[in-house]
Amino acid sequence: MISLLAVEFGGVALPMAAILATVGLLLALNTAYTLRNRRVPAVDIRAELLVVKLQMVLDLLLLTVLLSFSGGIENPFHTIYIIHVLLAGLLFKGSEIRRMALLAGLLFTAEVLGEALGLVPHHHLSSGPEMSHDWRFVSSGLAAFWLVLVGCAYLSASIMRHNRTIKDELVVRQGQLVAADKAKIDFFRYVSHEVKTPVVTAQSAVEAVLAVAGADMAEKPRDLLRRTVERLRQATEIVQGLSDLTRGPLHQGQDVRDVNLNRIVAALLDGQQSLIESRGLRAEARLPAEDVLLRASETMVEKVLGNLISNAVRYNRDGGRLIVELRDLGDAVRVAVTDEGIGIRPEDLGRIFDEFYRTPEAKAASSLGTGLGLPIVKRFLEQMGGEIAVESEPGRGSTFTATLRRT
Amino acid sequence: MKRTILVIDDDIDLVEIIRLTLESEGYGVIDAQNGARGLDLAREKKPDLILLDVMMGEIDEGFQVAYELRKGDNTRDIPIIMLTAVADQTGYAFDPEKDSDFLPVDEYLEKPVSPRRLVDLVRKHLPPTI
Repeated sequence: MISLLAVEFGGVALPMAAILATVGLLLALNTAYTLRNRRVPAVDIRAELLVVKLQMVLDLLLLTVLLSFSGGIENPFHTIYIIHVLLAGLLFKGSEIRRMALLAGLLFTAEVLGEALGLVPHHHLSSGPEMSHDWRFVSSGLAAFWLVLVGCAYLSASIMRHNRTIKDELVVRQGQLVAADKAKIDFFRYVSHEVKTPVVTAQSAVEAVLAVAGADMAEKPRDLLRRTVERLRQATEIVQGLSDLTRGPLHQGQDVRDVNLNRIVAALLDGQQSLIESRGLRAEARLPAEDVLLRASETMVEKVLGNLISNAVRYNRDGGRLIVELRDLGDAVRVAVTDEGIGIRPEDLGRIFDEFYRTPEAKAASSLGTGLGLPIVKRFLEQMGGEIAVESEPGRGSTFTATLRRT
Repeated sequence: MKRTILVIDDDIDLVEIIRLTLESEGYGVIDAQNGARGLDLAREKKPDLILLDVMMGEIDEGFQVAYELRKGDNTRDIPIIMLTAVADQTGYAFDPEKDSDFLPVDEYLEKPVSPRRLVDLVRKHLPPTI
């Protein structure tokens, strides 16, 4: 039957119809498989691997049929078996790879031996001498094939095992980092919760005493109480900062709305106006004419921009420029806050987002500041899917750029 | 006649701070350390204004007291100033205008309680008579 379909091709008689039918079936199966992958969402990884295995087995069977129609061991395309074994090495583990390599090897060996023994018709591929019955050629060809097959299976399995070990280790390390971060945040939450009430009550008490009896006090004790209030305000600010660090995710779900960034930047600068004037700063808001809106937690956005702007005021030099530039990038919004202040040394750039870290220059410039403002900025931005970048030159100033993506 | 302010808060020290501040401004202060006692006092004494802590024994005890006060014929019209550090516990900052539908109070006062701010808010609803 097959010989009836044989077609003279380049001086060689091949069963082209059978070859085309097999190739067509191979293409149809692979197309169907690709379409299925696009349309059916992968839910169960084991089911997906089973489908892949089935497809590879069918591919190997059809490849064997195709080879038997096109020269068997004489056909150089028998190396395609190797590709399947490499693929199996990428997708499967140990015994699965060995099974797939064994199947590929046995199918090819059976086909080659079948032709050598005359059990399967041989379709001579070239116009040269027929090799399929030459036992030296057949045995050396099969030996080379098995050597490459086993070598590829072993190498791909080793490489993938090594990769999986690294990946597993990374997953464990990432888990440890997440757990450590959670423990830190839980600790901050505990501290802020437990310390806040006594601190704010003490602050309220001293303020009440000053308000009610301050005028009748001698100057020294009154001054002492005023300084006590300032210290307690600092403590409250630290507790408030810790509290902010721990509650970002709570904001995310609760006050999400279309936030008008033009309005927020203007209001924040307005809130700093008395400080800006007292320091002689030249503040400039570069805002687009059209209001920039962003769907986000208003509290978090206000906190991020508020911290950046108050830092730019606090660490600026007297008479320095303060520029807040708002840009709408379409899929994101960018706010750059630039000052001409103390700047940050390169070696400190990696630490300014650590909780409680303040650079020596920042400490010298201002006794205020908790070391929590920038960590809050970074954490809130990350929670909103944004990021913070900083460029700085010691003694010349800094630019902090917050990017918020529209989701 | 002295205007009377009822302070409902389980923090005794804070109650004393508020008492010191408001009495120096000529207001009379009575207090309750829990919501149930606060409701009883409100019905019995009919204070001119109520300062109410959000979180006492229960996380929403202050809210429940506010709802009960708004339901009572005798207490419905008493101005309520809610003392809150609740934003730190829940991440939610209250706004009297936006939240008036579900929280029937007139003002919010964030802790730490600033004497000046407290007096300003009380005066806004209750001008002194002395």
